[in-house]
Amino acid sequence: MLAAVLVRLAEEDPTAINPVVPDEIGEIFWGAVAFFSLWILMRYWLLPPLMRIREQRRAKEIADLEAAEEARTAAVQVRRDYDATLAEARQRAAAVLEEARSAAEAERQAAVSAAETEAAARRQEAMAELEAARARAIAGMGDDVADLATTAASKVVEAPIDASAHRSTVDTYVEGNR
Amino acid sequence: MLSVLSNPALLLAAEGEGGGVEFPPINLIVKWPAAFGDGQWYAFNKIALISMIGMLVPVILFWLAGRKASLVPKGIQNVMETSIDFVEDQIVLPAIGPDGMRYLPMLVSMFFFIWIGNLFEVIPTSHMPANARMANPLLLALTAWVMFIGVGLKHHKLGYLKEALFPPGVPKALYLLVTPIEFLSTFLIRPFSLAVRLFANMLAGHILLVTFSVLTITLMVLGPLVIVGGLSFAMLVAFTGFEFMVAFLQAFIFSLLTAVYIGGALHPAH
Repeated sequence: MLAAVLVRLAEEDPTAINPVVPDEIGEIFWGAVAFFSLWILMRYWLLPPLMRIREQRRAKEIADLEAAEEARTAAVQVRRDYDATLAEARQRAAAVLEEARSAAEAERQAAVSAAETEAAARRQEAMAELEAARARAIAGMGDDVADLATTAASKVVEAPIDASAHRSTVDTYVEGNR
Repeated sequence: MLSVLSNPALLLAAEGEGGGVEFPPINLIVKWPAAFGDGQWYAFNKIALISMIGMLVPVILFWLAGRKASLVPKGIQNVMETSIDFVEDQIVLPAIGPDGMRYLPMLVSMFFFIWIGNLFEVIPTSHMPANARMANPLLLALTAWVMFIGVGLKHHKLGYLKEALFPPGVPKALYLLVTPIEFLSTFLIRPFSLAVRLFANMLAGHILLVTFSVLTITLMVLGPLVIVGGLSFAMLVAFTGFEFMVAFLQAFIFSLLTAVYIGGALHPAH
């Protein structure tokens, strides 16, 4: 059937071409001119500027990446330095604080101690004054007691008693009850 | 004639009076008269014009892109650099490797030349892919053939032929069978298959679009069949989109296979 169709087609159109066979040399010639011209132009004129710029871009990308890596390393170092400085500052602040606290404590201790010393001195002074006043009071009280005792005794015995004669007895008694 | 046989609609047309639809003969849809030099070796017809445009368009685009190339690409430079990246990343590096960069200009040229030639299938008022004629596919396939054999001989001298015809690891007795097969497949069938793959795909697409165009017009003219004509038109639009993709795909496949063959010649052990 296929052969019959082929024969029939050939009979109908004897000028029918076989499209697989290149029957126009001019098409090959102009195709060759066009393609090889394009190849040569592409090789020597058209591609080089774009390839150069691509290379430059790649080189710049690599350089930028390296710079970024360096900047990152530097940033890490700066961060480390900052952290170290911060830690040192904190340490120093803590030391200053501790020192201030110690100084304040020492000052407080000194103040307390001085106050206590002063208080003790004042207390001692007051005690001494108190003791002296007491002594003075007792001393003043001896005469009164002697007078009172001799008056009371003279009332008991119903006879006058010489106060000066018994003064030493009264004094000894008062001294014994002090 | 083969293309006619590949399409049932054209066969129907060949039936003559029975079909009613008149499809143009193959001569009319692929063969073009010469603008000058008719019958001469320099005859310049529509295919030659498309070939020249296929050369001029990349030249203009790459020239515009490289004229004021800057480190930060924009506009046309961005587009063309992306196309270079595409050929480099999808064709050169996977198929050849880093030492294949010296073939980048050839592969970029090949890719653009084929692609633009193919795109004329779907460009209004043209509707003829340059590669639906055998001239350009044959020329490019022969270029690829010369290139990969040349690369093999340049890098491995006659050792390339030995590696290609006597693959290592095969028992010696089998060389009687393997060597003729390798010779045929590597040195004869490769260029032919490259050329025919591109040519046949583009011719088939061209015939398909012609078929649906003729069908749409005919059915639209015949009043009662206008609805079927609409379906045919929808198919025409769909196939036009499909051919748009095929144009790119065939350019990519041709360039990739060329790179694979060059890579095979450069590193025959792999």
